Amino acid sequence: MKYYTLKRYLPFVFLTISALPGVISAEVITTEDKQTGLQTWEWKQAGISLKLIQRLPDQTRAFFLARGFTRADANTIGEACVFQTIFRNDGKESLSYDLNEWDIVHRGKMLTVQTRERWENKWLAKNVGKSARIAFHWSLLPTRQSFEPSDYNWGMTSFGLAPGESFDLSFVLNVNNTVVKDRISEIVCSSDQL
Amino acid sequence: MCTRLIIIFIILFSPISIAEQLKEGLTPQPNDISAPNFVLTDIDGNKHQLTDYRGKVVIINFWATWCPPCREEMPSMQRAWEQLEKEGIMLFAINVGEDEDAIFQFTANYPVEFPLLMDQDSSVINRWPVKGLPTTFVVNVNGKIAYRAIGGRKWDDPKLLAIIKSLKH
Repeated sequence: MKYYTLKRYLPFVFLTISALPGVISAEVITTEDKQTGLQTWEWKQAGISLKLIQRLPDQTRAFFLARGFTRADANTIGEACVFQTIFRNDGKESLSYDLNEWDIVHRGKMLTVQTRERWENKWLAKNVGKSARIAFHWSLLPTRQSFEPSDYNWGMTSFGLAPGESFDLSFVLNVNNTVVKDRISEIVCSSDQL
Repeated sequence: MCTRLIIIFIILFSPISIAEQLKEGLTPQPNDISAPNFVLTDIDGNKHQLTDYRGKVVIINFWATWCPPCREEMPSMQRAWEQLEKEGIMLFAINVGEDEDAIFQFTANYPVEFPLLMDQDSSVINRWPVKGLPTTFVVNVNGKIAYRAIGGRKWDDPKLLAIIKSLKH
């Protein structure tokens, strides 16, 4: 094929590739807030973004103390490697995920995300009050969710590791019936002393 | 040739049609889902039952005071209400799990005029297809869920308001 002919088809090839979310390479941006020192990891691909923002254990303790948890229980949550998570679908396809399919890779071991349901079993066993359990449920990122274009959620995610530990997050998304697997490396759980 | 291929590509692969682009921000729902009824009290002590509003378009927003995107969308919801109330469209914001004191404090910073209902034991939200806050539904005149939005929106966006107003007919 002559160069001239090839050149004519280039825009078409480019458009075709850009329509396939699984084909476009993802990027992970790590930033640090200059004022607070808190770090953020953001994964982006084809308009979809998953952003993990460190939360100080003390921030999380205070939030749950104000919502009816005892000091001991608020401390347990605060020290469970909690991130504020912003999950957005600004792409053009439907998207779904299930946190049960995500893995935490920590020192060579595979661990699971501490979902709402896992925590709620603990709170039920400890007879935590209903209003505290309701606040807890709605403040965590949904375990399973489907996003249409323009949809998004904010919510806490908890990875169950000690402050200062680091891990890789291996995650799976379903984008318009195409499985997208990727990884965010070297995420660090915040400690109270940054 | 190249231009023709691009046009064919756009027709075949464009994920959303022009008509659907207008509905961006509100996801149409299958037309057979009935909105679950509720009887809830607002922060002024007035009771509201969803079925009493049959024949009207009703927007139902689930929220909490501590939820950042819920707070962010409240001012635009108030501006939307200022237009929608005149059109006979109802708007309820259902707070999940909090008491009057928390909501009153919230309204000092986010003054709104539409009814703020309280679902303190979460019995109502649990019967609606909600997984995260905020989630908003638009219920049509027949009591069916017409649209859903997960996450905050700019509710006074004219395109979005036009979609809601079109449900009156």
